[in-house]
Amino acid sequence: MIITDLLGARVFGPDLLGYVTDVRFSLDTHSIGLPARLHGIIVSPHARSSSLGFERSGVHSPWPIAALVHWRHRGSFLVHWADIERLDERRIQLRPGFERASSELP
Amino acid sequence: MTTQPNDQGIQWIDAHLHLLDRQILDVHGLPIAVVDDLELSDVPEGEEIPRDTAPPVITALLSGPVLGARIFGGRPPRSRSQSMPWITIIDIGVVIKLAITGETTDLTWTERWVRDRIIGRIPGGRHNAGKD
Repeated sequence: MIITDLLGARVFGPDLLGYVTDVRFSLDTHSIGLPARLHGIIVSPHARSSSLGFERSGVHSPWPIAALVHWRHRGSFLVHWADIERLDERRIQLRPGFERASSELP
Repeated sequence: MTTQPNDQGIQWIDAHLHLLDRQILDVHGLPIAVVDDLELSDVPEGEEIPRDTAPPVITALLSGPVLGARIFGGRPPRSRSQSMPWITIIDIGVVIKLAITGETTDLTWTERWVRDRIIGRIPGGRHNAGKD
């Protein structure tokens, strides 16, 4: 599988929840050679693509762009890998009772 | 925008934000490609994923002829992309640095061919002016 198979895919719980705007990985920098492991997917209810990451960081300037991006990605959340039930072509089904985590970068 | 490891040494990487479209430099700091896609380890598709399934990992960076597809849609076949194994990455920041030289990959074949077959045949074409 390649990452662009996931980006832009529709995400379903009981209904359409949004679209995958990014995929988050965790990398253990203390161990050389370990690969980056999929942590979760970023789901945006209103947008199909990511916009420079303004909505996931503390960057707030230039304010017109930050305001527009925050509005465009309002309601975005992170879904952990364990809550993904099924991957189909351009469609992701989440498990019942999935957790909506914060999409902000730690 | 880049991320730094936290106190536990965990670095969080968002694929689209931190990896895609980033310049790739070889061990000498020379640009060799741009990240066009990422290859993930096998993931069950079209079937229910068991709860204890390990998450996929990034196995390689991919670079290939994606310009037309970016504009008009679709995706080139996987065979058209060159892959750089994840294990060769030594740094992820504004650019991605690899522990290999561009000469060892097919990514720079066009540049090497032009250098050797065209530029090299021009009088003075083999002279490295930067080393004077």
